[in-house]
Amino acid sequence: MNLELQKGSRSKVLATILLGIMVVFVIRLFYLQIIQHSYYVGKANQEQIKRLTIPAKRGVIYALNDQTPVPLVMNQTVYTVFADPQTTNDDNKIIDVIRQVAGGNARSNLKALLNNKDSRYQILATRITRVQADKIKSNNLKGIGFQEQSQRVYPEGSLAAQTLGFVDFSGAGRYGIESELNSRLTGMDGLLQSVTDVSDVPLTIGNNNINKPAVDGDNVVLSIDSNIQSRVEQALVDGLKRTGATRGSAIVINPSNGRVMAMANLPTYDPSKFNEVQDAAAFNNGVVSAPYEPGSDVKTLTMATGIDKGVVTPDSTYVNTDYIRVDDIVISNAALGHTGTISFQYALNWSLNTGFVTVAERLGDGKSINLKARQTMYDYFYNRFKLGQITGIEVASEAEGTIIPPESADGNAVRYSNMAFGQGLDVTMIQVASAFSSLVNGGKYYKPTVLAGVIDKNGKYIENKVTTPSNPIAKSTADQMRVMTHVARGMFIGIDPAGYYIGGKTGTSQVIKNGTYTSDETIATYLGYGGSEDLTRYVIMVQVSGDHKALAGNTDALPIFTDISNWMLNYLEIQPKG
Amino acid sequence: MSYQRTQTFNSRRQQNWSRNQNTVAFTSTVKLGPVTHTVIIALMITVLGLIYLTQATRATSYDYATQKVDNQIAELNSQKSDLEVENARLTALETVKNSNVASTMTTPASTQYAQ
Repeated sequence: MNLELQKGSRSKVLATILLGIMVVFVIRLFYLQIIQHSYYVGKANQEQIKRLTIPAKRGVIYALNDQTPVPLVMNQTVYTVFADPQTTNDDNKIIDVIRQVAGGNARSNLKALLNNKDSRYQILATRITRVQADKIKSNNLKGIGFQEQSQRVYPEGSLAAQTLGFVDFSGAGRYGIESELNSRLTGMDGLLQSVTDVSDVPLTIGNNNINKPAVDGDNVVLSIDSNIQSRVEQALVDGLKRTGATRGSAIVINPSNGRVMAMANLPTYDPSKFNEVQDAAAFNNGVVSAPYEPGSDVKTLTMATGIDKGVVTPDSTYVNTDYIRVDDIVISNAALGHTGTISFQYALNWSLNTGFVTVAERLGDGKSINLKARQTMYDYFYNRFKLGQITGIEVASEAEGTIIPPESADGNAVRYSNMAFGQGLDVTMIQVASAFSSLVNGGKYYKPTVLAGVIDKNGKYIENKVTTPSNPIAKSTADQMRVMTHVARGMFIGIDPAGYYIGGKTGTSQVIKNGTYTSDETIATYLGYGGSEDLTRYVIMVQVSGDHKALAGNTDALPIFTDISNWMLNYLEIQPKG
Repeated sequence: MSYQRTQTFNSRRQQNWSRNQNTVAFTSTVKLGPVTHTVIIALMITVLGLIYLTQATRATSYDYATQKVDNQIAELNSQKSDLEVENARLTALETVKNSNVASTMTTPASTQYAQ
């Protein structure tokens, strides 16, 4: 009986202990599996699930070749070759192969790099192509690795460099289109979240897999015509060589839709070697980001204002005395001796300042540039011709410029008398060329643009719609201005081929240095158009300048315009009349 | 040699069942014990597990095949991009301007247009 009792009690004790252990296990498992469930699932996912970024391709930038898109900026996969000096075993062979295959892309001190046995990562060559990488790989060199990266390539070299901008080493667009349209060109990276094996191969097992494809950047088509752009750049190079100027800019616009066909600046640079540029000024697109006092080009806008307000006509006259007093200053003509009663057409032909100060006076009471005259000029210059404000062209760093309002202390009669012949205001070439386009296209102002369309996912070119223009001046005014500028260009005999309708206006503007107008430096411009008698096909604006260079519109900028214009007549296949 | 019935037959006629309903019920004389049940269930679980593993492995093998095809597509795309770049370079204005053909071209003395 005692034995049975003892036996029973040991079993009960054992059972109790086992039960207790089981209870501990159950509680522990409950804690781990129920209470800590999320924590351990998270830890497991960290180990098993990889999140891989699917990089989006940066959009390709196209120019037009006539009406066909051609690539101007593309992407290419390139490789960086690196070595782990601690695991390499045949340094001489590595050096031979790298030098032979990578050529100029190899580092010059390969021996020293491979001898640095404390390091585990030494770059031996950069930016080699896939073919070169394959050749190196085929040699089965121990301790050599490859890093893949995408870089921008420029089949046309430095063509339209400032308009394009470049992509820096972090992948961000800088300057030009690359900066302005960075988000559109970049696209959106995709995400692949999946259970992977030890080689990072994604597996379909698991419940939390995500496959979000990358959205590639837009492939944009610029309105820049690569042939015109190339010709304009060459004309600028030739022009600078001829004149001794050190800086030059030119723009060609289609006045029928505001599309920029060419935009060039000198000095320029190679966007594929942006890191080698010494002077960052080469990155700037002077056409859109360098406001200046445009000079006599603006006389066309002043004249258009007078005609549109009905206070003058091309044949209206005034008495020219070579000088005109405005408040406490005297304004003189650059070309003296054309005194007497002359027409405003004559004043435009000889670019006489007095004539356009007179137009400004007639916008008021006819005797002075009063508030009414200034308000009218401001309305036309700022509100209608959109000078002194951002045009919205799709190029980074566009400058606003300045038009002083008539109500401000500086917006007095003296200021506005200067503005009448293009001094005392800061504007960009794109503003002036766009405004001038409205004078020769029937009175329509089109917002300037460098975008012609996009290439869709099927490779089809989808052209942008032309924006609705505003009407700064009446058609009759524009028609008169077209004739006036044609007559003004006629002063330069024998420079245009017969049968075409070409017009323009010179500009020679003084430069402010240390707060005052300097006498030894001027900016020369020429602003004109060309086409047939019925239709203006292009507007060209040229600007050249240089430190301590006194350049003139008629002798230094006009020949560059003529060079481009004559070529454009053939390129656009414009048929001469008669 | 005598045969023993493996099934017993019980008449339900006496159980006040309604008309036209089964009047007999068969009861198996083979009885499975708890151990057999456990073994059968374990076998079933094993078979199901094997089926699952087979399917999962097959799916994974498809993943490797897919990965291989993806790599081929990426490689071909890379080659296509390289060829596009090369094509663009060869047809670039600078290349054309500096070509042998361009160097032998002459400027026409005059141009005439068809009316």
